[in-house]
Amino acid sequence: MSNLVLEPREFKLLDGLRLNPRKSFGGKVRGERLTKKKGISIEFADFREYAEGDDLRHLDWNVLARLDSPVMRTYRDEEDLAVHILLDGSASMSFGEPTKFSGAVRLACALGYVALCGGDAVVPRILGMREPNQSTLRGRSSFPRLVNWANQSRDQEAAKDSLSTSIRQFVSSSTRTGLVCLFTDGLDPELPTSIRGLGGRGHEVLLLQILSDIELDPDLEGDLRLIDVERGTSCEITANGQVLKEYRRRLAAHNQELSDAVLRVGGRYALVHPQDSVEQLIQRVWKKQGWMR
Amino acid sequence: MTFQFPSALFAILPIGGFIVFLYLLKMRRRDVRVPASFLWPNQVEEIRANALIQKLRPNILLFLQLLALLAIVGAVARPQTAQKGLAGEVTVLVIDTSASMSATDVKPNRFEEAKRLAREAIQSAKATDRIAIIEAGPTPRVISPLSNDPARQLAALNQTHATDAEGQVGEALRLASALVASLDGARIVLLSDGNFEPVSNFSRGKAALVYRCIGNLDDNMAINALGTSETPAGRQLFCGIKNHGSTPNSATLNLYADGKLIDSVKAPVIGPNGQWGRTIPAPAGAKVFEAKIDCSDYLKSDNYAVDVTDPTASLRVLLITKGNLFLERALALDPRVTLDKAMEVPVGERSGTGAGSYDVVVFDNMPEQPVKARGVLTFGLAGPESPVTASGASNRPKFLSAERSSLMENVDLASVYIDRQTVVKPKGLGETLAQTSVGPLVVASKDASKRQIFVAFAPLESDFPLQVGFPIFVANALDFLSGSGGTSTLSVRTGQTFSLPITTTAHLTTPNGDQIELKPNGSNLVVRDLNLVGAYKLSAEGKSRTIYASLKSDRASTIKPQRGLNLGGGTVKANDAPLRFADFWRPLALLILVVLVLEWWIFARKS
Repeated sequence: MSNLVLEPREFKLLDGLRLNPRKSFGGKVRGERLTKKKGISIEFADFREYAEGDDLRHLDWNVLARLDSPVMRTYRDEEDLAVHILLDGSASMSFGEPTKFSGAVRLACALGYVALCGGDAVVPRILGMREPNQSTLRGRSSFPRLVNWANQSRDQEAAKDSLSTSIRQFVSSSTRTGLVCLFTDGLDPELPTSIRGLGGRGHEVLLLQILSDIELDPDLEGDLRLIDVERGTSCEITANGQVLKEYRRRLAAHNQELSDAVLRVGGRYALVHPQDSVEQLIQRVWKKQGWMR
Repeated sequence: MTFQFPSALFAILPIGGFIVFLYLLKMRRRDVRVPASFLWPNQVEEIRANALIQKLRPNILLFLQLLALLAIVGAVARPQTAQKGLAGEVTVLVIDTSASMSATDVKPNRFEEAKRLAREAIQSAKATDRIAIIEAGPTPRVISPLSNDPARQLAALNQTHATDAEGQVGEALRLASALVASLDGARIVLLSDGNFEPVSNFSRGKAALVYRCIGNLDDNMAINALGTSETPAGRQLFCGIKNHGSTPNSATLNLYADGKLIDSVKAPVIGPNGQWGRTIPAPAGAKVFEAKIDCSDYLKSDNYAVDVTDPTASLRVLLITKGNLFLERALALDPRVTLDKAMEVPVGERSGTGAGSYDVVVFDNMPEQPVKARGVLTFGLAGPESPVTASGASNRPKFLSAERSSLMENVDLASVYIDRQTVVKPKGLGETLAQTSVGPLVVASKDASKRQIFVAFAPLESDFPLQVGFPIFVANALDFLSGSGGTSTLSVRTGQTFSLPITTTAHLTTPNGDQIELKPNGSNLVVRDLNLVGAYKLSAEGKSRTIYASLKSDRASTIKPQRGLNLGGGTVKANDAPLRFADFWRPLALLILVVLVLEWWIFARKS
């Protein structure tokens, strides 16, 4: 892997893709995203009565000639889109080969690259760790900064907050509403609640759940004491067919709950493996499911 | 439910405690770091332990092991359930077939009721129950050995019939005891009315004894005496009737002489246990007298009696002995013999005026005394009236020869070992019939009034009683002493076994008209199973003999059901609804098997 995380071939695949949010969000600066606000663009919005002082360039001369009444054409404004890249930095992300975190970093950079190229404002944030907020990134030239941020060495074992706690903190902060791209393994029982919180705050949630084979098909056997790396709690089991079957059932139910929570707030959900390539992700999820266009 | 070994239940506590203790042992587990533990079921199935000690947790294996322990301990304690029924796991059904069981106070009669109960017991027995059936008739026999074959048992049961004879219930019980006394859980079931000879010398061993009393009423009239006697007024026929019931009853008595009715009279009402007699002159020349009574009672077989007055048809024999079973048996085998036994000659039977009661007196190694009887058989010691003169004794004589005579017919003395012989010389009319190296061995004499046989050794001082010729010699001697070469008319008691000097196949016609073929055993024909009252025809060697069988038994005529029996030193009360204690360990064993298989399956799945 190069310093830029992505392969050159992957950059080519990502070029030309644009994020396709379902909602419209107000921006801070002029950008390429249509907003609900009236402004200057080529997207017609509505007609209204002429008022004194209006720009005559937007007067509909055809209507004036036919009805002898001055009517103004209004257009939708175009602003930038806030894309919040939330990267789960909890201890559970260090499992897998390659680790789920490394996979998450790669996919987050890919999505960030698409957003930067689309003129959106990218706001990266690591969840679970207490780090100073990263400044908003704009433009393709900011991609190296995004990669540097993602490649910072972090001790995930030292993560202080749980995933759901970090999301709640994010919800309660005065961030712009926008597209929240959550890269996580989702192994937090409170996560569905937190997702509903994100939706309630007005964000559109894109949840990319990254699970390795350790979670999907655990290779455990015998009498074990399972130690939860995030909470430090332990659980004694006898790993046999019955227990493994029950585990898989619970995991599937949890994932389904996550998916339902995301869809309920109008977001999108996909389950990927850390070893999935960007190309696979583009074909299987981002383009196929309409995350990007 | 009861337990045969309830103390075994105490094993539950220590063994159960040990099992629970094993589950208190803690598993030393391997630590594994996982991304999240909330997805894992908190499910611990500890099947191994290597550390102390933990809180007891609910565990299906523990439950199954405790259940298996309960079942095992329960099975070891031998639980039993009480069920109504005659048969147990091992049962001997003893069915009384004696005359009193033909009483009709129970419909159709007591014997059929006993068969019905036995049939029910067989049909309700479990597949593993073993049942034997013993017929307690005049000669007890096992008609079905111990088996669990109901079809065979029912077939054997259907072959049994009631008799008009006294039953040997004591012998039958001893036979049953020999079959099952050593078996745990065995029971002997006696189906009877309780009217039989007192039973002694009987031990039931481990077997339980269940007595099912059959019968309700006791109304019965019986002919208890029939005979003739010479009186100054001529020969008189006497007949006695006895009321064995507990209520007064009356009867019409009919007397026959040689098949012709000679008297018919209605007897007065006879009270409970009362008797009434009728004496009439006996027709001259008549030999067979029969008596029949018509009355309302429940047992018919004792309403008929017969008496044969042919002097050779019956013999009253007095045996003077200190005890000689062989001689008693040999004498009793003769159908004519009515045997009495004494240590010395009664005063009234010694020589003097008047007639004696006995036809023959047998001295078994006892000093011979002059007697009134017309025949004397002496073994061992000679007396003043013996046909010999004794002059000492000699040991181990050597047999020399025997004369051809009816007395010695089919008797081989050459092979007899004689330990001690009295040395004698014949005197008077004494005729030597057999000779040894020390002198005469058998000497016989006869005149118009007396016949005598002297045998110069005691049976118990030789092996003669063990030889085939011994009962033949006794039968020949009785023929010689009675002065007959056999008779054409016999009177016996029902059920009596006897032998006749017949060497060819004989045919017996029963009172019912059935034909039975009898084959001789050597020089004798053993006749048994004359179990019905009436006249039998025996055809053999071109001659026909009539054998009259009658009951004439006070005990058999007493048909009052006995609710309590004294058997083997203990009293056994009748039990109308006996309970059987069925072992319950088989279902428990099955439960143990199922639980252990289930536990193994769960263990295999979990491990």
